[in-house]
Amino acid sequence: MSRSHKEGGVLGLFDDPVRLLEAVRKLRSRGLTEFEVFSPYAVEGIEKAQGLKRSLIPFVTLVFASLGCTLGFYFQYWTSVIDWPLNVGGKPYNSWPAFVPVMFELTVLAGGLATFGALLLFARLPNTSRSALDPSITRDRFAILVSGMNPEDASNLLTTIGAREVRAIVPRGWF
Amino acid sequence: MRYVALALVGVISFVIGLVHAPERAWAAFLVNHFFFMSIAIGGLFFAAIHWLTGAKWSRGIHHLSESFTAYLPIAFLAMTVLYFGSSHLYPWSRPELVAASPILTAKAAYLNKPFFFARGLGIIAVWLAFARAMIRNSFHERKEANRTLSPVFLIIFALSFTVLSFDLLMSLDPYWFSTIFGVYCFSILFNAILASVTLLALYARTHNSWDIKLDRFHDLGKYLFAFTIFWAYIAFSQFMLIWYANLSEEVGYFVRRLNGGWYAVSAFLVFGKFLVPFLVLMARGAKRSIGVLSAMAVYILLTQWIEILWIVQPEIFENGPVVGFLELGITLGFIGLMGMSVGGFLKSRETLIQAEIASFGTAGGAAIGENARG
Repeated sequence: MSRSHKEGGVLGLFDDPVRLLEAVRKLRSRGLTEFEVFSPYAVEGIEKAQGLKRSLIPFVTLVFASLGCTLGFYFQYWTSVIDWPLNVGGKPYNSWPAFVPVMFELTVLAGGLATFGALLLFARLPNTSRSALDPSITRDRFAILVSGMNPEDASNLLTTIGAREVRAIVPRGWF
Repeated sequence: MRYVALALVGVISFVIGLVHAPERAWAAFLVNHFFFMSIAIGGLFFAAIHWLTGAKWSRGIHHLSESFTAYLPIAFLAMTVLYFGSSHLYPWSRPELVAASPILTAKAAYLNKPFFFARGLGIIAVWLAFARAMIRNSFHERKEANRTLSPVFLIIFALSFTVLSFDLLMSLDPYWFSTIFGVYCFSILFNAILASVTLLALYARTHNSWDIKLDRFHDLGKYLFAFTIFWAYIAFSQFMLIWYANLSEEVGYFVRRLNGGWYAVSAFLVFGKFLVPFLVLMARGAKRSIGVLSAMAVYILLTQWIEILWIVQPEIFENGPVVGFLELGITLGFIGLMGMSVGGFLKSRETLIQAEIASFGTAGGAAIGENARG
């Protein structure tokens, strides 16, 4: 992903997400794979158009949430049945319904923190040395960066698939 | 025609039941009355959220939700019929029991037959008035009018549905009380209406080839998944506080349901009603598969019905669930009545709704464009 930044390329700017979506589909139908898409918000259907694989984040969440749930139960079981059994209101030591709120909270906490951590890891954040290719793509415009192609061909291609503005990106040391 | 036949089966079963086992017949009547009434008003509730928020994802599908409100007049009728069976179900409606109990005598100002049915019928009449006005607006694209009416309706709905669930279900044991009961019944209602809308949308896609995209079913599946958790959260909140405090005036409700034949049903609610849909619908593939989603929608609908049976029947049959041909027949009757209402509603509006759904593909794209600039 970040390889294309280092190599530079040609940036095509689009005004609306429908044009962007069409442009991405056209690029893919021409067999182009080395491009990146920028958008100020999530555009429905863009992952499919780009042919991106599913993110691993939900699986990280699942694993850590299950872990939080299990450990939450185990700790309460250990304290109230094994290590320090106390008779509370004549209830059995293993009064599991009373454990559920803590198990639930630990499920959410472990799942939530792991999701946040995984997001930072997969998105390579925080990264202060990187800057936006164009400030407008964080606001109201959309862009495709084509790399690994002759700049002139890339500009022509982007214009024909509907880019409003085309600009060459000079490779810089990003890291 | 099929639905008319089912309705007839229901009427015949109910009459036979009244003669041979009136207690069973009225219990089954109450379970189904509450269940189908919840779906009917849930239809308006679900649509009202969409009108209030200006939701675009569900364009066209919200009409399927509206179609369930066509059952409301029948709910009004069923409420009237219940008048004749109240002494079989509600201890507070039997003068000899009220006279013998100081608590029931003190509650008689609220729990008495005329006031009880005035509340019930009045509430359904208000719902009917809202349904008529808002659905007319919905089909005439008067979005602003509905956006103004929706919050009014939602507040009235929250209060009135709580009252009705307290009246119809909680007063089966007039000594017992639980302040979360209204929300708890609402969580059943919302699961039931979500499953119903999903099922109807799946049917429209597979049998009438409506152009409803797979993404919409993915969204409905997410809704079902989320509100399975919501139900578990609310139901467990009610259970745990009563179980933990173990106060004699509150705990009887769960003692009845954790003993005898009811224990198995309670266990089913934990594992079958929560864990099964939770684990199945967690997977993305399940929400996007027509087969799995249809099966889950039917299953979730069934579990909501079982839960209402579990709320109603232990108050009358302490040893365990009583389900036989009688209960089955009466349930089929209500399915028939619901089918007739929904079918009648959709028949005259089918082309209109289909056109609106079909326009989503093109207009939906433009809508994203609007968002980008707005």
